[in-house]
Amino acid sequence: MRQHLIELIRFSTYAELRAERSRSYLGLVWWVAEPAMMMGAFWLVFDVILKTGGPDYLPFLLVGLTLWQWMKSCITHGGYAIWGNLGLIRQVRIPVLVFPLVQIFADTIKFFYIFALLLVVLWVAGFPPNITYLALPAVFVVTLLFSAGGGFLVSAVVPLIPDLRFVIEQILTMVMFLSGVVFALDAVPPPLQEWFALNPVVTLLDATRGILMHAQWPDWLALLKVSLISVVVCAIGIGVVLRLSPRYPKLAS
Amino acid sequence: MNQPLIELENVGVAFSAQRRVGSGKFWALEDVSLRLRQGERLGIIGRNGAGKSTLLRVIAGILEPDRGSMRRRTLSCQLLSLNVGFTPYLSGRDNAILSGLMIGLRQRDIVSRLPAIQEFSELGDFFDQPIATYSSGMLMRLGFSVAMQAEPDVLLIDEVLAVGDAEFQEKSGSALRERMRQGHTVVLVSHDETQIAALCDRLVWIEDGKSICEGSRDEVFAAYHRQLVLASEAP
Repeated sequence: MRQHLIELIRFSTYAELRAERSRSYLGLVWWVAEPAMMMGAFWLVFDVILKTGGPDYLPFLLVGLTLWQWMKSCITHGGYAIWGNLGLIRQVRIPVLVFPLVQIFADTIKFFYIFALLLVVLWVAGFPPNITYLALPAVFVVTLLFSAGGGFLVSAVVPLIPDLRFVIEQILTMVMFLSGVVFALDAVPPPLQEWFALNPVVTLLDATRGILMHAQWPDWLALLKVSLISVVVCAIGIGVVLRLSPRYPKLAS
Repeated sequence: MNQPLIELENVGVAFSAQRRVGSGKFWALEDVSLRLRQGERLGIIGRNGAGKSTLLRVIAGILEPDRGSMRRRTLSCQLLSLNVGFTPYLSGRDNAILSGLMIGLRQRDIVSRLPAIQEFSELGDFFDQPIATYSSGMLMRLGFSVAMQAEPDVLLIDEVLAVGDAEFQEKSGSALRERMRQGHTVVLVSHDETQIAALCDRLVWIEDGKSICEGSRDEVFAAYHRQLVLASEAP
């Protein structure tokens, strides 16, 4: 049974990536072109026009957007996975957690390709590899846990209230701006900075940027806190999905 | 051997009437009892909207009863459905593997049967093309060939005995009848009385979500027809 589930998840992930590749005319190119275009827009607004970018704005933005894109994809793609597969859920008996998991794995594999490219860009731009790279796996594991938890939570409720999708897109955009993805939080007035620092996304971005751009070890205590939050979010998400799973086959898609 | 594989007692299943907060429930199944034993070929008859397909999904373990009880031994039940999990941009081959995994087969089993699937579906070189390029007939042939590979302990069939053009209908119909004769435990839902009569030895008759009677084929058919005659004579 478990072996079978592993095979199912593995092949579905492969199928998802493969289908995505052949779905569009340029296929894999979009994996890179899409974030690159987004980066161009922010660079134009914040650096060229408003001149608020600060030093090393492009690499700062590049790292931030790459990591954020991964988190956001896990939350939205994973989050819409059960809803999108209701037709299938009505036909066959498959543990519903498979659907968000497959999306999250597919997005994670995609992220690793994009990240490899990001590293090359950074090296060329004058940010060479350094010893703190050793901390990257830990940061990534926490990031994955956090995003997966968000994805599970969203995936549990969207089938019941599909209209939530519109709200979720807006919330994620807001979180992106509140998390220092596109501008440094130093620009935020000091009393507010403490509040901003409670945001797990900020901790994860700071850790990644510190490693890649400044050869700085992450703030382990903050990372530990985020990982605890992530585990809790994951557990709640999985719990809600399992709890609601008898209802999904009864829903119209 | 004679211990029932699956036993339903006064089972009911409710759906919410519409996607609104606080909307009422409607009971697609109200009170159904039945027993399924090893090697039995059980037919479910009843009019449109009687709840036959819902019942089949309860037996398959897809829907959980909202009331009543269901006892089942550890076994795999599979609803024979076509094109499960098919993805337009993947080749027929990849779709066959994906679909096979979804209907409960192990990857090595489905891979070893790929030549047979390609052969039975008569797709030839199209087997390695994305299924988005297939005609609806080709798609159905692939879907049927894959669905036929499932080997559950209990096979559940919802009126898809024959698909495709006349020639393939003949072929798919006979392949399926062959499966049913091999002594598998089967539950079949159909409107077609001749088909049910030819393939099933026991019947359950469902009306408005309730099981009216369960028994041998001839018994249940006799009762069913009596009622139909009565209904047509009523003013």
